[in-house]
Amino acid sequence: MTKKYARASRPSIEDINVSIDKGEFVFFIGPTGAGKSTIIKLLLREETPNKGKIWVNDKEVVGMRSWRVPAFRRSLGCVFQDFRLLPTRTAAENVAFALEVIGKSKAVARRVVPEVLELVGLGGKEHRYPHELSGGEQQRVAIARAFVNRPLVLLADEPTGNLDPDTSVEIMRLLDRINRTGTTIVMVTHDSNIVNQMRRRVIEMEGGHVVRDQSRGVYG
Amino acid sequence: MRAKYVLSEVLVGLWRNVTMTIAMIVTMAVSLAMLGASLLLYFQVSDMEEYYYTKLEVSIFFDKDATQAQMDAIGAEVDADPLIAEWDFETKDEAYKRFQEMFKEAPDLVNAAQPESLPASYRVKPVDPDNSQALIEKYKGKEAVANVVDQRKVLEKIFEIFGGMQKLALVIAIVQGLAALLLVANTIQVAAFSKRREVAIMKLVGASNWFVQAPFVLEAVFAGIIGAILAYLTLIGVKIFIIDGTFKSLFQSTVLTPIPWSNVHLMFPILAGIAGVVSAVTGWVTLRFQIKV
Repeated sequence: MTKKYARASRPSIEDINVSIDKGEFVFFIGPTGAGKSTIIKLLLREETPNKGKIWVNDKEVVGMRSWRVPAFRRSLGCVFQDFRLLPTRTAAENVAFALEVIGKSKAVARRVVPEVLELVGLGGKEHRYPHELSGGEQQRVAIARAFVNRPLVLLADEPTGNLDPDTSVEIMRLLDRINRTGTTIVMVTHDSNIVNQMRRRVIEMEGGHVVRDQSRGVYG
Repeated sequence: MRAKYVLSEVLVGLWRNVTMTIAMIVTMAVSLAMLGASLLLYFQVSDMEEYYYTKLEVSIFFDKDATQAQMDAIGAEVDADPLIAEWDFETKDEAYKRFQEMFKEAPDLVNAAQPESLPASYRVKPVDPDNSQALIEKYKGKEAVANVVDQRKVLEKIFEIFGGMQKLALVIAIVQGLAALLLVANTIQVAAFSKRREVAIMKLVGASNWFVQAPFVLEAVFAGIIGAILAYLTLIGVKIFIIDGTFKSLFQSTVLTPIPWSNVHLMFPILAGIAGVVSAVTGWVTLRFQIKV
């Protein structure tokens, strides 16, 4: 699969062929500009490749009609470096928002939201606003929001990029727990400590190519 | 719950950008009021055409010194004419009486006129009102005939004025309408920009396009409907204070047929419908092509 941005002189990703099994935990690592984040955008179908095909949850994403995209995205969860929470909503409301906008009833939200917040370790902080929470706690809210629909795949784009090492470890523990429920996790990072600690599959990219694909790998 | 969510989003959205919202609503209201006025004038003209064209007459006026024999000769011709459906002869005395009646509020004028100064005439109704020209041509040059006058010509002048007013109102409606559309597009862009975080998250968690776009589109539709209500109230005001007020005598005379309330009320659903549909389409197109919500 190749992805070339319109104004770029060379493709962001070129001829990569990767397959990830259900329930796997995969790190994409590599220097800035290696095409890691493009992978997430392609998997989310925010972008489409110029050449090649992408299958996510047995669905071919590239040729997907645009009106099917929302339904497709409901089977994915997504976490980012900048958390992407709504500042005017509390932790619980941020999580409920994800349910609300896909048409789930208030009753469902009332039942599911406390459960998920408890799971990510935010029990008792449901009614705090994002600015009243630490970075790690905000990321937990984001993870709760990504996980509340029980997605088959969780995509994480540098989820620990804004966090200190200790908090990062806690977030990784949380992701690990989610992985154990059978959720596939695809994580983009350049945090070498985390990669080395987790000992999971590592796919290293450079200049748009896969240069290493190693199960139970370490950071370069 | 969804309806409540969408409604609160709409109200919050309109309030957040309140100066823009007011500008948008006022522009729309002016545009729609002009459109309504234009439609009312259009109805008015066709009402009047219908009303008058069935009564249109061609008058054949005789010279003041025309002899009875000359008039009888024309009368025989009129009676036998296949172009003429009905005819009526008006003597000098009858013409004078009618003149007295018509201008009874101006006694000086009546006193100044002598019965002899008014011409006798044949009032004829053409079989085909659209073809009165042939009648005029036929009788104009005849002996003792002073003039042949088609009432239609007089009415057409009035209709031309109405038609001109109608076109002017329509032009203003279109220009203001374009301004309103640009304001709608701009308001939606601003709204979408100020809500870009929410929108990004909605898209991320898989909210349907409909759900993401509905509040923005409804915002435009809501403003459009308020504009239509204002325009409707304006038309009602014009009807009460100007048509039934200042120009009351003009409309009560036989010259202009009155503008019925039913026509004014009919404007509301028409204007609201147009405003709603046009705003929705503009909003949707803006979202689709300009900001990719």
